[in-house]
Amino acid sequence: MTRQTRRTVVALCFLLPNFLGFLTFTVGPVVFSLAASFTNWNLMKTVPLRCVWFDNYVKLITEPEFWLYFINTAYLMLGMPIAIAGSLFLAVLISQRLRGMVVYRTLFYLPSFTAGVALLILWKALYNPTFGPINLLLEWVFDGVGLVQLEPPDWLASTKNVLALAVERVEIVSRQFGLGARDALIIMGIWTAIGGGNMLLYLAGISNIPRDLYEAAEIDGAGHWAKFRHVTWPQLAPTTFFIVIMSFIGGLQGGFEQARVMTQGGPAGTTTTLAYYIYTKAFEEFQIGYASSVAWILFTLIFAVTLVNWRFGSRYVSY
Amino acid sequence: MKYVFLGSFAVLAALSVVAGLWHPRQTDDRIELVWCTDDNPVRRGQIALFNELYPRYRLRIDPQNSGMQKVIVQSLAGVGPDLFDCYTGSQLVAYVRSGIAMDCTEALAERGIDIDAVWPCLKPLFVYEGRAYGHPDNANAYDIWYNKVLFDEAGEPYPSGDWTWDEFIEVAQRLTVRDERGRPVQFGFIGYWDYNAALAQWGADYYTPEGTRCVLDSPEAVAAIQFMQDLIYRYEVMPTPTEEMAMSSAGGWGTGVLGLFGAEKGAMALGGRWWLCLLRDEDYAHMRLGAVPLPHGPSRRQFGGGRATLVNATGQHIEGALTFMEYLHSKEWSQLVNRQADALGPVMKYHYGEYEDAFLHNPEHPEEDCNAEWRTALEDSVPLQVSSYVNGQTVERIMLVQLDLVKANLKPAAEAMRDAAEKINKAIVETLRIDPVLRDEYERAVAAGARPAWDDEEGAP
Amino acid sequence: MSAIREQGGGFGKWWFRRGRFGASHALLVCVAITTLMPFSWMVLTSFKPLNEVQRLNPLPSQWHAENYTDVLNSKDISFKRYYFNSVFVAGWVTLLVCLTSSMAGYAFARIRWPGRDHVFKLYLATMMIPGVVTMIPNYTLMVKLHLLDSYVGLIVPAAFTAFGTFLLRQFMLTIPPSLDEAALIDGASHWQVYWDVILPLARPGLIVLAIFTFMGNYSAFFWPLVLIKSEHLRTLPIGMMYFDTVYGKQTNLIMAASVMNIVPLIVLFIVMQKHLVRGIQLGAVKG
Repeated sequence: MTRQTRRTVVALCFLLPNFLGFLTFTVGPVVFSLAASFTNWNLMKTVPLRCVWFDNYVKLITEPEFWLYFINTAYLMLGMPIAIAGSLFLAVLISQRLRGMVVYRTLFYLPSFTAGVALLILWKALYNPTFGPINLLLEWVFDGVGLVQLEPPDWLASTKNVLALAVERVEIVSRQFGLGARDALIIMGIWTAIGGGNMLLYLAGISNIPRDLYEAAEIDGAGHWAKFRHVTWPQLAPTTFFIVIMSFIGGLQGGFEQARVMTQGGPAGTTTTLAYYIYTKAFEEFQIGYASSVAWILFTLIFAVTLVNWRFGSRYVSY
Repeated sequence: MKYVFLGSFAVLAALSVVAGLWHPRQTDDRIELVWCTDDNPVRRGQIALFNELYPRYRLRIDPQNSGMQKVIVQSLAGVGPDLFDCYTGSQLVAYVRSGIAMDCTEALAERGIDIDAVWPCLKPLFVYEGRAYGHPDNANAYDIWYNKVLFDEAGEPYPSGDWTWDEFIEVAQRLTVRDERGRPVQFGFIGYWDYNAALAQWGADYYTPEGTRCVLDSPEAVAAIQFMQDLIYRYEVMPTPTEEMAMSSAGGWGTGVLGLFGAEKGAMALGGRWWLCLLRDEDYAHMRLGAVPLPHGPSRRQFGGGRATLVNATGQHIEGALTFMEYLHSKEWSQLVNRQADALGPVMKYHYGEYEDAFLHNPEHPEEDCNAEWRTALEDSVPLQVSSYVNGQTVERIMLVQLDLVKANLKPAAEAMRDAAEKINKAIVETLRIDPVLRDEYERAVAAGARPAWDDEEGAP
Repeated sequence: MSAIREQGGGFGKWWFRRGRFGASHALLVCVAITTLMPFSWMVLTSFKPLNEVQRLNPLPSQWHAENYTDVLNSKDISFKRYYFNSVFVAGWVTLLVCLTSSMAGYAFARIRWPGRDHVFKLYLATMMIPGVVTMIPNYTLMVKLHLLDSYVGLIVPAAFTAFGTFLLRQFMLTIPPSLDEAALIDGASHWQVYWDVILPLARPGLIVLAIFTFMGNYSAFFWPLVLIKSEHLRTLPIGMMYFDTVYGKQTNLIMAASVMNIVPLIVLFIVMQKHLVRGIQLGAVKG
């Protein structure tokens, strides 16, 4: 055995435990689900398993449901730019070597670190339209400033949204304008994400910016904004790129827990995202073939984003 | 670092031992039966009685609320329960067709269980195409609950029960109170927005008799749903979804509408006898309750249902599960259910004749004087219609979206029901497309004159 | 500095008169308050009697600590067991992930072998696969292996991650190659190098990975939701959901349960945050 071969064998031994699991629980399932998406597989014994080729996909793109849930998913991603901008803003503020930076960082990071069912249940209670503290507070404020006729939003019970999207078809209807379930989820999402991993990434990015760039800018007479515009922002471009990509990927597959715990996908299906749709199709209606095809469409979208990352990201992010 | 690894490993290994030992222990050699049902105080009483009557077995419940998918998949994987619950006819169809529900027609007959002895509206919950797969647990029909305290306060005479919906609305309006901001203080009428109750009363069908086509766009169905919308927005005697959501959360035992009624926020409510399970609690001791039949709708039919327990064909203890069926058929069971007020016992005869007195008068609750009303309601009850040609869960999802829209006043009933029917019919065509066995059956029905789910050849599968 | 001061108008003057950081501090405090409001509502509500939950008054009139004991001793919900299960499962997953990922990371970062970069690309490619794609086949697999409703079914599928491999490879790449080369020349085996040299040096990375893995699995919702049937195997998130169903009306009890749910995470974070931040700065993204 040459040294080269021995090294390879050793390397493979090190890799093996992870690789076996990786094949069994990731690569295998991906292939399996692709195969399943071409079948009529459901759990009923009377239905013989049969290959239906692209039937599921054709059905899916011709069905309005899929598009509506796709729009829901996209809508929930509207909070992304706000959350990212907020993270950047907070990171810039914190990074000024302020006293108490650690305290702020800890506080801001809390929501994303503790995110999960407990916080979803908490927000469900906060959003309660009549008894929830948010609306109690809003009513108190409205009363205080004399706007008694103003009604606080119905939050999770409402199909309204700031884009005034109609419920069942893709169009804009003015009476749908307002704050509803989807906006409630977005606000919650911003609250959760703003001080989370993205802020930490920005903090790390800022601390890596060479000090002399700022000093040079100051010599040129740059103000705060100019320094941000010409030093911080371009220097953080790789971080921003990475964060945007990751947020896209997360957003496309998101919304499951919120729907399952807070809204059951309602009202009128407005908080049903693609991930939740796949779950209901597979685990409640047993249309596993169909659900697999939706999952694969989702995967394709995410893969497209990943490709963008590879194509352009190599300029910014070195692996 | 390696010590951290090894240390964590040791700790986790120790915890694994703990996890293995910390297990619900088997203390004797009784055969353990697992029943997949919801957990509540009433259920525990029902289990205790079984364990007492049949000392060979120990019944344990496996509470879960995530619907039927787990039962089916777990059973196919060989870790299913011995017994599981079925709430609707379409669930039964799915259980039968996935091979989980065991055909026990002969076994039941051998044990002297007459499946025709149960309330007729329970049949679709456990009988499919003439074969029995289990036994019903209880039977539930709707009456109007009313809170005598609130009626007294308003100086309103108690309803007699012989009334129309128009009269009902007048009473409900008098009992609806709002504050100066227009926020509700008390509603004249509350209830799970139970469209099935309205559909039955308006004489509307879900499907053609053969189940081949959804006919929820019929004038009867539209009128029923429109009426429900009107109760909220035209007559303003019922809470809007927002008001309702504010009051209820996830639903289930002790929450939602029932809690609201218990909190005296509603003067009348559409509900079943099982509400007593909660309302008997000392928290509600101040309430004085009455129940009267529903106002007369266009039809005398009303919707009735209940719960059945099916035998798992893949279960470990078929014999024990069949013993449980005997238990459900027994006098002890029906009378226990009636005493507990978990709706009504499944077997008809234990409510009449020599058993009538025990049914009507519960010595522990002499104040409950309306038991006869529930029996009357059940006599008029018809079950929810089922089609074998479409997944019940799909139908429910479609209906839920449409009714959410109607309920939020975003869509008139006619439009919503037309869309619902169209979608359900599309789902039927879809089922036929993937299921050749059903398709054969369907084609035979259509050839015999049943109306297909499509209007022109283009829509055919 | 002087240049900045010259540009400043009214707001700028105020900004600098207050001292450079006064306004930043004020802003940060505002954000901190917004962040903390829901938490404080949760904690305060968890101490309220039920009839005060729906009032705007922030403080309970009497502090009801028995809400907590009510939750812990609830007959319907064995909260203690859920706690144990979550920690137990997350603990095992964390250990296994750290072990398998560091080994794989070692193979990718410290040994040269043909095809290495292609295999690594495959790992990278699958990092983005949404969980919903693999969940149906994985579930089917669990059915076939009879691992439904078991600890093993909860632990094993989560124990191999591409992310962990990626993260630790990044870390190990930053360790100077001379260290293990020297050890190898001294006759040490690769296993010894990995175990005695690389692992201790990769500590920051391992800690980050451990924290994230533990946290993620402690809060994992989807997989336990579909996999677990028995009451005694439920993890906290699933238990919380049932709790919400059973005690839907009793917001104070639910909030007490929620507080107990997130306290371990908060403790973990506060204890570990220095490592966490340093870890992210060291490896996750290189600017």
